Amino acid sequence: MTDASLPPVQNADVPPARALSRRILPYAMLSPAVIVTLAIVFFPMVQTAWMSLHDYVLFRPNDFEWVGLGNFKAALQDEVFWISLRHTIIWMTTTIPAQLLLGLVTALLLNQPFPWRPVARALIIIPWALPSVVIALMWVWIYDSNYGIANEFLLRLGLIQRAIPWLADPDTALAAIILTLTWQGFPFFAVMILAGLQSIPRSYYEAASIDGASTWNQFRYITLPGISGVMMTAVLLRMIWVANSFDVIFVMTGGGPGYATYTLPLYAFVKARTNLDFGYGSAIAVLFTLLLMVVVVFYLKRTGKAVS
Amino acid sequence: MKLAKTLGFASALALVAGLAQADSTVRFWYHFDNADNPMDALIAAFEEANPGIKIEADNVPWNSYYDQLYTAIIGGNAPDAAMVKAFAQPRLVEMGALAPIDDELASWDGRDQLLDNLLELAKGPDGKQYYLPVQYVVLYLYYRPDMFEELGLAVPTTCEEFRDAAKALTRDTDGDGQIDVYGFGFRGAKGGHDHWASFTLGREGVSLTDGLTSEAGVAGTQFVADLFQTDEAFPPSAPNDGFQEIIGGFKAGKTAMTIHHIGSANGMVEALGDKVSAAPVPECGGGRWTAFGDESTAVLANAEDKEAAWKWISFLSSAGNNSMFNAATGQLPVVKADSQSWSLHPQRFVQATVDSLPFAQMLPNSSATADFVNTVWPTSMQRVLIGDITPAEMNAEIAELFGK
Repeated sequence: MTDASLPPVQNADVPPARALSRRILPYAMLSPAVIVTLAIVFFPMVQTAWMSLHDYVLFRPNDFEWVGLGNFKAALQDEVFWISLRHTIIWMTTTIPAQLLLGLVTALLLNQPFPWRPVARALIIIPWALPSVVIALMWVWIYDSNYGIANEFLLRLGLIQRAIPWLADPDTALAAIILTLTWQGFPFFAVMILAGLQSIPRSYYEAASIDGASTWNQFRYITLPGISGVMMTAVLLRMIWVANSFDVIFVMTGGGPGYATYTLPLYAFVKARTNLDFGYGSAIAVLFTLLLMVVVVFYLKRTGKAVS
Repeated sequence: MKLAKTLGFASALALVAGLAQADSTVRFWYHFDNADNPMDALIAAFEEANPGIKIEADNVPWNSYYDQLYTAIIGGNAPDAAMVKAFAQPRLVEMGALAPIDDELASWDGRDQLLDNLLELAKGPDGKQYYLPVQYVVLYLYYRPDMFEELGLAVPTTCEEFRDAAKALTRDTDGDGQIDVYGFGFRGAKGGHDHWASFTLGREGVSLTDGLTSEAGVAGTQFVADLFQTDEAFPPSAPNDGFQEIIGGFKAGKTAMTIHHIGSANGMVEALGDKVSAAPVPECGGGRWTAFGDESTAVLANAEDKEAAWKWISFLSSAGNNSMFNAATGQLPVVKADSQSWSLHPQRFVQATVDSLPFAQMLPNSSATADFVNTVWPTSMQRVLIGDITPAEMNAEIAELFGK
């Protein structure tokens, strides 16, 4: 940092040894972080890719047989892979927009002055702060077909005639989980967007209202452009997190009934950890990573342009 | 490793010489559903009798017990001794994860104290002994005598009678148009294969490794599917129901029958008093099948001090201690003396267990069994129940797994 501010004349006077140490210093300071990242992120990634090219079943640790792209070919012909991919797409394209919308509405509300606002702002973060397993267990009880509050509530309102086994019925299981995930994730958007809202100068709104802009127009031309950068980052982060998370599904249904709530990360996990088929599980994980990368790159290109 | 071996050798020497005992720690994994965990008392008794050996016992949740165990073994972080079931043995032996205990057994005076045949049942696929039985149960049918009496029903002894009873018992008791009681609490999630097996594997010529795709085999799966889809005699949540749900449903009076073992008897009596009884599972298609629920302990191959680990597991299967262990798990002791003095369960449940022993069976001693229990059975059964695949397709899938 200081280098840039130094006049070039002084640089020439620096003895060679000091210049060298200056050149090395940034690398030396960065290296611990880089080494740790390489060791705990990059190395397992390479290992996963390597395993995906082998027939590797954990309870036969001595058979590590090269099969090339065999696992990938098998995955593309695997019915469960396509079912899981379909669910993953449904899951991501509904969960994230729902979270974004709910988060946006919440942030706009929390940005209005009202009594006890700091308390409301603190409370809203609770779903986000709870561990996923706690959330999953809580919602399993909410959806329970015998004692669950969801059924009780809907029955009393007369909206349904008999209790619905939300998580055991293949038509409702995925939707029920999506609702849970929406509830879990919307505070993240709310907090991010709220921060974005607070960075928009009040004077813009004052100027707009003097010019006679309606509330909607103020929202459309001041608020939205003001928070679009934050929203883009939040959507990107959330997309990656939602795509990779399977803990809530795993606890709530374990992928069942049948394959009704299987998603790709869950399928990879079940294959690797329960069936101990690490070769095939890794292949699914690698395929999913590639798909996700395509989506992320495409998204960055599109929204990056729009924001700038 | 070299250091570990040297240390192990040194401690063995010290023990043999009867001099000061080397300190060693035995890491033990087990799984108890029961919240009243007796392990601390057992450990205290053991450590007092064996100064120099420390027991570190971890209660690992059942749902992921084997996932964790296999992963720990591969990761080189396995416990020194663990509670294990027969279905996992072929796989554990294939992994080279178990230490044989034939020599220790030969010189152990507790050997003759064990119930007959149990050691034989727990023998490894290669003829060596790895497992030391610690408790056992046999699955039977729980039913509500009060509901049977109210409807003038007899306890079912065949599948046909069972189906009639289940249909009659499924009813709206308070006239609000909602079904309040279901005939049978079926376990459609992991662990429910025993329910399905009782309706399927007793049929003539049907077993997991043979005849499953025959007409008789498919009829068993069809029987389960019909009970759920046509008769609606299971709670609608049956495809996802596990241990907690079937036991909870029965205790709460939501179901009139279910299948489980004596381990849940005391809890049932606490909730229902005299309104719960037990009988052997019905005969289906000419035969009966029920699960022999085994539980053993084993020393793992990587144990640092195998002698200490053996001392601990044999302690759990010795007279008195075994009683204490089973008092908490609610299962039955494997030691003759403890078995004779057993008074911790009401007689009717012990009787149903004894009556079920003649046709109780274990799952095949094959490495496919673990996949059958953990993924293939639960997924395919759920798919049949929700109408995704046919019973014939389910049986074909299982037959293929065991045919590999």
